[in-house]
Amino acid sequence: MAVGSGERAIFWYGCNMTRHGEVIRATTRLLEAVGIEAVTTGGPASCCGSPKDANARINEGMARRTVQAFNATGRETVVTWCPSCHMNMQDSMAPVTPTNFETVHVTEMLHARREALRPLLTRPVPARVLLHGHLGFHGRVPVNGLVPDLLRLIPGLDLVEHPYRAPGHMCSSLTGVPGVPGVPGALADAQRATLAAMAETGADTLCTIFHSCHRENVGLEQNHPVKVVNWVHLLAWSAGWEAEDGYKAMRNAADPRAALGEALVEAAGEVPFARLVEPELRKPPPV
Amino acid sequence: MSLADHIRHESARLAALCTACGDCVRACPMTPYAPGVADAEPGAVAAGMVEVLRDGSGTPEARAWIAACTRSGVCTPACPEGIDPAFMLRLATWRAKGALGDAPLIAVKEDTQFSPKVKAFARLTLTEEEQAQWL
Repeated sequence: MAVGSGERAIFWYGCNMTRHGEVIRATTRLLEAVGIEAVTTGGPASCCGSPKDANARINEGMARRTVQAFNATGRETVVTWCPSCHMNMQDSMAPVTPTNFETVHVTEMLHARREALRPLLTRPVPARVLLHGHLGFHGRVPVNGLVPDLLRLIPGLDLVEHPYRAPGHMCSSLTGVPGVPGVPGALADAQRATLAAMAETGADTLCTIFHSCHRENVGLEQNHPVKVVNWVHLLAWSAGWEAEDGYKAMRNAADPRAALGEALVEAAGEVPFARLVEPELRKPPPV
Repeated sequence: MSLADHIRHESARLAALCTACGDCVRACPMTPYAPGVADAEPGAVAAGMVEVLRDGSGTPEARAWIAACTRSGVCTPACPEGIDPAFMLRLATWRAKGALGDAPLIAVKEDTQFSPKVKAFARLTLTEEEQAQWL
């Protein structure tokens, strides 16, 4: 069976991807471009349950609700973005609540149909790019090979090779969930090794694969002469689509509140912005 | 089947297959971040992890190793028995966090403001129409 044989799919972007609206938007458009008619969904209402890993009963309830909602759509394929969601679907969600869909990672889906992308990617994106790869998840879905293949479709882009792979399956596994410490020192060590790999290869651009890696690494631009982009940004720019990195603009602004403007702060809610958003945006980068 | 039953069943199945040879510990890139593990015998650390899968509390080194797991997954191809240590560690993490109702054996990293934060960011990056359709 072909990868993601269903042409009617759910694009399940996960939870923390809401920081990256333009990536959700561009990914939905990329799926459409390769012939996948996708319903886009995510956020707390479509949770894999992992935020409640310390309580199996609550975790199961959240996960079951998500699987049942996906089953009810009758769609044959769920296209995942988040590696945690993907692994949880396969390891704990589907075994507990049987699914009537196939789970396929977005990189697999686009890679299998990459010839449909080629005619779209006409605009050169001049950059010397190092892929930000992790050791984990690649054993499940070979993302460290699939994403480079997609990037090679972009004219003007020079992809460098380096063997370094950060531990974990994405950077949130090193740093913990936002606001909650993970493994002390691990993210800083990984970032130092990444910067060393960029210097060694002469790369000027770091290309993240996952959202939490992007979230944790855009701050490198504050102290180092590098650019940090996501692979979806690069594909979108080559297609001529608007895909400004909204999170990076917030994260690297001297004054995030001023950069966003009062209207957006008001839309987020003054209290949630001050208590939940602003501390993350003002957090000093680890290196 | 409940998730708790799934965790119990898979824990017992994989614990029975594991020989605690320690190759998974040797392969792990996170042992420098797990206090005591670098100086411990790898097989003993693996045995401690298996003990957690069997309703035990494990050794301090095993608990440190479980807490430092970031799902790198390199333990799985390193396993000479062809079982799945990465999933064993996932199961051990659930158990060590107290997912089955026991007292936690490791620090629980839970963001109690997770959902409000996800929604707050959505209001900053998605249009109202996108929020209505995509959340």
